[in-house]
Amino acid sequence: MKQFVIIGNSAAGIAAIEAIRNKDKESKIVVCSDEDYRSYCRCLISYYLAGEVKEDGILYRSESFYRENNIELLLNKKVIRIDPKKNRVLCLDRSQIDYDSLLIATGSRPKFPDIQGIKKEHVFGFRTIKDAKVIEGLLPVTKTICVLGAGLIGLKAAYALRKRNIEVKVIIKSKQILSQMLDADSAGLIQKKMEENGIDLVFGQDVVEIIGNGDIKAVKLDSNKVLGCSMVIVGKGVQPNTQLAQETDIKIGEGIITDNFLRTSCPNIYAAGDVAESFDITLGTLSINALWPIAVEQGKIAGANMAGDKLNYEGSLGMNAIEFFGLAAVSLGIYKTKDGETGYEELKFLDSKSGIYKKLILKDNCLVGAILAGDIRNSGVFLRLIREKVNASSLKDKLLAENFAYPDIMGLVKERERLYV
Amino acid sequence: MGNAKQLYYDVEKCLGCRSCEIACAVAHSISRDLFKALQEEALSLPRKRVLGASGKNYPVSCRHCKDPKCVDACMAQALVYDKEKSQVIHDETRCVGCWMCVMVCPYGAIRPNKKTKIPLRCDKCKDKDEPACVAACPTGAIIYIEEEELAKK
Repeated sequence: MKQFVIIGNSAAGIAAIEAIRNKDKESKIVVCSDEDYRSYCRCLISYYLAGEVKEDGILYRSESFYRENNIELLLNKKVIRIDPKKNRVLCLDRSQIDYDSLLIATGSRPKFPDIQGIKKEHVFGFRTIKDAKVIEGLLPVTKTICVLGAGLIGLKAAYALRKRNIEVKVIIKSKQILSQMLDADSAGLIQKKMEENGIDLVFGQDVVEIIGNGDIKAVKLDSNKVLGCSMVIVGKGVQPNTQLAQETDIKIGEGIITDNFLRTSCPNIYAAGDVAESFDITLGTLSINALWPIAVEQGKIAGANMAGDKLNYEGSLGMNAIEFFGLAAVSLGIYKTKDGETGYEELKFLDSKSGIYKKLILKDNCLVGAILAGDIRNSGVFLRLIREKVNASSLKDKLLAENFAYPDIMGLVKERERLYV
Repeated sequence: MGNAKQLYYDVEKCLGCRSCEIACAVAHSISRDLFKALQEEALSLPRKRVLGASGKNYPVSCRHCKDPKCVDACMAQALVYDKEKSQVIHDETRCVGCWMCVMVCPYGAIRPNKKTKIPLRCDKCKDKDEPACVAACPTGAIIYIEEEELAKK
């Protein structure tokens, strides 16, 4: 009988529990979470704040999940140190837990810019159910909120607040929203939707100070302009929670570096989810792709391997799916090329009347990335072409066609077709 | 472990008449009657599409994969794989329309319904003995059978 310890109780941690229990019903599994809340669908906090989903709708796995799987769940249990030599973790409450195999699934946290006033009480990240609840509690006394950054988290917060009739101003340093997943054309379509629905987007300016004695009164921009508000939500990206590995020999890059078994440089310690830096299929290098489905996939593989499997992780790629005010978009892999970069081929389709935009990026006749906005059907088929590095020369005139679908790629993918007889 | 029936298609027999699409839409309407269904406020859409490629017709719908990528991707836990029924179960009350399942389905078999914000996917007509598309197919191209039984044919 072994003892498995999992630090983190979200997508990767839960997937790892299930994968371990699939193979090993006996060994002890201890899960440590620094949150005071059982596992929930983190990505749904914006839906909760918008009032579209009630609290029971964001709970992930049933209340009996931990009991049924014989898990020792320790909430509010902050691990502060890992001792790989003694195979032991140390917690803030001074307790120690031994492990045979450890999973670091500590996720990520919002990045806060280093500006005056950032420590004020009503400055929030938007990451936890607690963030959502505190923000919600303040809405009755809130007229205007400034959101810093127009990444997905910032915009999801902005969307939710607008749904609650709050005046929202999003302060964006660059000239484009969602620059981590969309190109200028597709971002323009979403921008139009947001503006039509009353979200104020302020481009090309950055916040330099959050003003107010005690309560927030306003934010000051680098243009010297001052925008009144009583709350600030920071959506300037996330950083992996690598702190626990920092005092050890575990190798860290941007995140905790993992191999093709999702092992860290310490053989009985694994990492998965937003904290893990792993192979990126489209970039060909290590990278962090912080996304719920990827965290689940990694947690599953890491868990199985902790329990004795030797599953190979093929890697992830940057991807995301969004919808704002009725406009859906999907981004896959390399979604834009940098100026002057050669060797890429772009296929584009734009129908401004129906609001449909598609862009595919190919390299050496293989699809390496895509943006689909307004019509996201078959995005999984494009994802498959990217993952399997399918030679798409014979498909080029079909890829952007209205009726392009799985039957067109059937003979080109790895798996043998068995449904069509 | 379930060994439930799955949908197979005899592509040589499929004429592309789309009777299966209509039967599917009707089966998932409120009235379950073609003419009444057309009057319903939210038009019921088929969960199956017949698509042409290289001169043949291929009905495309959820395959209820044994290792379903959509279930792993679902951030709302609206999707669960039921081993007994060999089926992906979609709890529409939990679904938020995030489209992660659409993004990862390797067959493009899940389509977004823009109106309801809920993805359209085959539920094998839930508790019915067989999906509506099977009986609707005039040429018998849609086969509802256990995997092992099919192999014997």
